Amino acid sequence: MKKKILYISIFISPIILAFITLFIGRYPVPIGDMPKILTYPFLRYGSEINDTYYAIIWGIRMPRAVLAALAGASLAVSGAAFQGLFHNPLVNSGMLGVSSGAGFGAALAILLFNNFSYYIYFFALLFGGLAVLLSYTIGRIYKTTPTIMLVLGGVIVSSMFSALVSFIKYVADPYNKLPAITFWLMGSFASVGRRDIFIGVPPMVLGIVGLILIRWRINVLSMGDREAHTLGINTNMEKLIAIGFATLSTAGAVCVGGTIGWIGLIIPHIGRMIVGNDNKALIPISCALGASFLVIIDDIARTLTGGEIPIGILTSLVGGPFFVYLLKKTKGRGW
Amino acid sequence: MQNHIVQVKNASFSYGEKRIFSDISFFVKSKEVLCIIGPNGCGKTTLLDCILGVLKLEQGEVLIGQKNLDNIKPNQLAEKVAYVPQVHRRTFPYTVRDIVLMGRAYKTNIFSSPDEGDMEITNEAMEKVGILHLADRPYTQISGGQCQLVMVARALAQQPRVIIMDEPTSHLDFKNELMVLETVADLVKQNNISVIMATHFPNHAYYFETNGILTTLALMNNERFEEIGSPGEILNENNIKKIYGVNSKVLNCNIDKTTFIRQIVPLSIVKEAQ
Repeated sequence: MKKKILYISIFISPIILAFITLFIGRYPVPIGDMPKILTYPFLRYGSEINDTYYAIIWGIRMPRAVLAALAGASLAVSGAAFQGLFHNPLVNSGMLGVSSGAGFGAALAILLFNNFSYYIYFFALLFGGLAVLLSYTIGRIYKTTPTIMLVLGGVIVSSMFSALVSFIKYVADPYNKLPAITFWLMGSFASVGRRDIFIGVPPMVLGIVGLILIRWRINVLSMGDREAHTLGINTNMEKLIAIGFATLSTAGAVCVGGTIGWIGLIIPHIGRMIVGNDNKALIPISCALGASFLVIIDDIARTLTGGEIPIGILTSLVGGPFFVYLLKKTKGRGW
Repeated sequence: MQNHIVQVKNASFSYGEKRIFSDISFFVKSKEVLCIIGPNGCGKTTLLDCILGVLKLEQGEVLIGQKNLDNIKPNQLAEKVAYVPQVHRRTFPYTVRDIVLMGRAYKTNIFSSPDEGDMEITNEAMEKVGILHLADRPYTQISGGQCQLVMVARALAQQPRVIIMDEPTSHLDFKNELMVLETVADLVKQNNISVIMATHFPNHAYYFETNGILTTLALMNNERFEEIGSPGEILNENNIKKIYGVNSKVLNCNIDKTTFIRQIVPLSIVKEAQ
């Protein structure tokens, strides 16, 4: 019973936290006006609503909360899926190079175009996908996809794209372009607006839903290729499907929020401490925890100081000690 | 003919230039245990992998219940053939039940999970193997022998016709080894299951035979089955000398009026003549 309450509260917390986020920010919106602003798109009564308040809530805070929640969920779920897929608890969602590929794409877009905001999405998605495709192709060198080869492919591709990012930074204009690249790579939701919803939500939702649907199969795949095969699974095909969904969701998250590390690694482990290792429960709980975690972190990022703190810095700074605390408290139970 | 669960015809396999085995033929009947013994590196595991569809034969064919292995999809194969690995690498602390439940994977499609019926079959499998009391324990916290029984239960949950075991007792202690053997013997007797088992212990073949199970022993060496027959006939001092270069002695012993055991014990390594 106590457990049930805990699970339910974990699952509804992202919604509650995202809602609370609407009230938080540097620009004061009177709480008394909130009911009107929030219901305005549905009821559309009168014109006594303040346009600025409306724009802040619906144009800025709402998309930001939704995107942060979805990005957190995406990174956590694909991290959990990859940990199972590679039967290694230390890998994260960037394992096959999607993050470094997307990072390179974004850096390239910033370098090449003056008005780069749209190109960033396109290039980040393109190169994120391309990086995974490359890793996968390297992993297929022996016609099947042994896990160790995939991991190796991911390491090779990631390091190549990191080198390319360094190269772009090296040649970029140090007063204008270089800071933009650096900030983007540190991750931030500072500039997201409504249009990001249309670009970021479809791949993230598709990837998350896909991974939730195949979550039990990840258990079987985590037995290793040989055993999964003898348990009746077309391992090459199902690995490809899982990688496809994980890449979609991660690439979606990276292209709206930049490279945000750490979530794909620790959130699944926090999930394991709560529900155990069965991916049937672990994937959904990681989804909810990841969403809540990134919404909270993003609130801190935009309110802690006068300016914005890049979120990638905070996820590690806050996440690291928090994880150690959890390890100590639960004594690594269920792990 | 109908009786053959698994039939291997003129099987050959090489890794590149290196020939592993050639022209091996045998079949396994219902409720039969086939033990394959032979020196390290003689190709036992490779042969098993070819029957499991992990590797593909170079020549010859594998028939699973009359059907050619090449035309069988993994989920169809898992319905007939289950596998117990030599050592299972435990990464995540799944519960014992989670692991055994994976035996039902071939019945579910990619987007679904096992249902109530699968749960029941899982429970039955754990009960038959005698690990139901461990069901909710993390399987990383049980002994190696118990873990091997979990693997047997998972294979059983597939409700297969044949279980393929690759040296299932090779890293187990004195008691755990016997625990696995007893469980396998009971399964074969009480269910309509056959077993193909690669092993390093010739006495395993005697164990099954003296327990009243239809047992066949294959002695694998020099890329082929040197001998195949009942343990009583072919597991003797001569053949052991031929295969392993070891002098040995078969001992027969009546424990009491009803229990008879036979064991082969190694004596010394044959010194190279001349």
